[in-house]
Amino acid sequence: MGAFFSIVRATALEISCDAFAMLLTLAALALSTFAGALHYHQFGDPTRMAREAGLSAILAGGLVFAIIASVRTVRREIESHTIDMALAHSISRSAFICAKFAGVALAYVVFFLTVCANSITAVRGAAIGAQEAYGGLARVWGPSLALGVATIVMPVVLAAAANRFFRIRFVRCATLLMLAFALASLAYRVDWRLAVLQGAPALALVPSAVFFMAFACVLAGRLRANAATGISFAAAAFSLPVLGAHYLADAAAPQAGGAPWGFIALTYAAASPLVVAVLVVNGRLNTKDGAD
Amino acid sequence: MAVVELQGVSKTFRDFWLRPTVKALDGLDLSIESGEIFGLLGPNGSGKSTTIKLILGLLSPDAGKVALFSRPPGSAAARKRLGYLPELSYLHSFMTARETLLYYAGLCGLDRATARERTRQLLEMTRLSDVADRQVGGFSKGMARRVALASSLIGKPELLVLDEPTSGLDPVSTDEVKTLVKELAKSGMTILMTSHLLADAQDVCTRFMILNNGRSVAQGAVADLDGSLQDCFLAAVAERRAFSVASFLKA
Repeated sequence: MGAFFSIVRATALEISCDAFAMLLTLAALALSTFAGALHYHQFGDPTRMAREAGLSAILAGGLVFAIIASVRTVRREIESHTIDMALAHSISRSAFICAKFAGVALAYVVFFLTVCANSITAVRGAAIGAQEAYGGLARVWGPSLALGVATIVMPVVLAAAANRFFRIRFVRCATLLMLAFALASLAYRVDWRLAVLQGAPALALVPSAVFFMAFACVLAGRLRANAATGISFAAAAFSLPVLGAHYLADAAAPQAGGAPWGFIALTYAAASPLVVAVLVVNGRLNTKDGAD
Repeated sequence: MAVVELQGVSKTFRDFWLRPTVKALDGLDLSIESGEIFGLLGPNGSGKSTTIKLILGLLSPDAGKVALFSRPPGSAAARKRLGYLPELSYLHSFMTARETLLYYAGLCGLDRATARERTRQLLEMTRLSDVADRQVGGFSKGMARRVALASSLIGKPELLVLDEPTSGLDPVSTDEVKTLVKELAKSGMTILMTSHLLADAQDVCTRFMILNNGRSVAQGAVADLDGSLQDCFLAAVAERRAFSVASFLKA
């Protein structure tokens, strides 16, 4: 198991150093933060807009993160032949791909927590006139927007300074600071009902990302980067209507301030066999020679 | 006891439609005893890398049998006793030298304290302590080679497979690697190495095999050679061809 966890750790480290992951997190933060400010234009139910923008950032950003991070990390190992060095040790090729999948999942947790915490802050900023629908949440508009912007800007500035003066790696430092700022923002006049309103539905989005993570890792173990990415995105695009219908179902909405735990449990239960099936296929595919 | 044993091993690479493209090995027999420094030599495309990949369990043979420590090469127990230095220094560019060694220590299943201690020792041995916290992506070819060499040694393997170990090293570093290989063999480690630098191989190896077109064309003890290993190599690889420069210039 030591070899497995060593690869998991190295993969999470690699993705935390990848500018793509940092930029995607920044984009998702920007979407969830500024969607919370749209109520200024009186487009409709502002809390719902902020809430759904945050969930969209987690769903779409999460799928993009899962697919691209998985393909990049597996293909990089194969194309740079570092996989040969690893496989010369006591780990099989299928276990190696599983370890890469677990490493991407670990990096995804950082992405998920950052964007989810930030979207809770954004919903808090937009919660006005929502007494009936959302149980009378207090609106904290200005500070919430300021905290959201700080979560985007400050990590980049501080990481640049840390890199300039202490030679600390910029991308990794910025990614971890984004998480720290997003979590710290929750401490300001926190209303824990928001954890139910935003956090619980967000949790239901995780299984789809985990499934596409496994799918992309397994494809990347056998196909070239473009093919693996293309097939994974095509599969994600075809499944989005199904996912959308699933996530927007009445059962997915918080019920009278309570989390839809039954719905969330069903989502995880439905995704688990699919992930297991993909990993079983991985085991079968990787009993043969060769990288491609 | 034979550390590595290949009996009648053949390997053919195939395309997507399973049509044969290259016959890399053709009925190869090879046995490496414990404590030997064995030189696997041959021209480009002769099957050296395929042989190494079969021994490492990265490929499986079409015919014949491969055994590593009397076990199948894919077995975890056999691989735990193996260290591998590939021809090119394949390293994760985002890791520092220290992180790289700790990563390979993890792959070898070492506990944290042992991993840290061996990392420190190997960084000192390869004179990389001063740059241990720099990312290897920015290293020169020689420095990267030393990191890769240290990575292959971190599990204190019983069998060390060195594919062109002196590739990219300056003469001083080459000499240091040769001395290191001899010292490792004295400590009981079995070493399988490939090299195009036949003088280096002659300095270091106790036994050798010359491959050509996937077959063994010469083998024996280096001490038993009448002339140099280079003469033996050129005699064995008879069908070498010179570049046809004259026809190109004439055209």
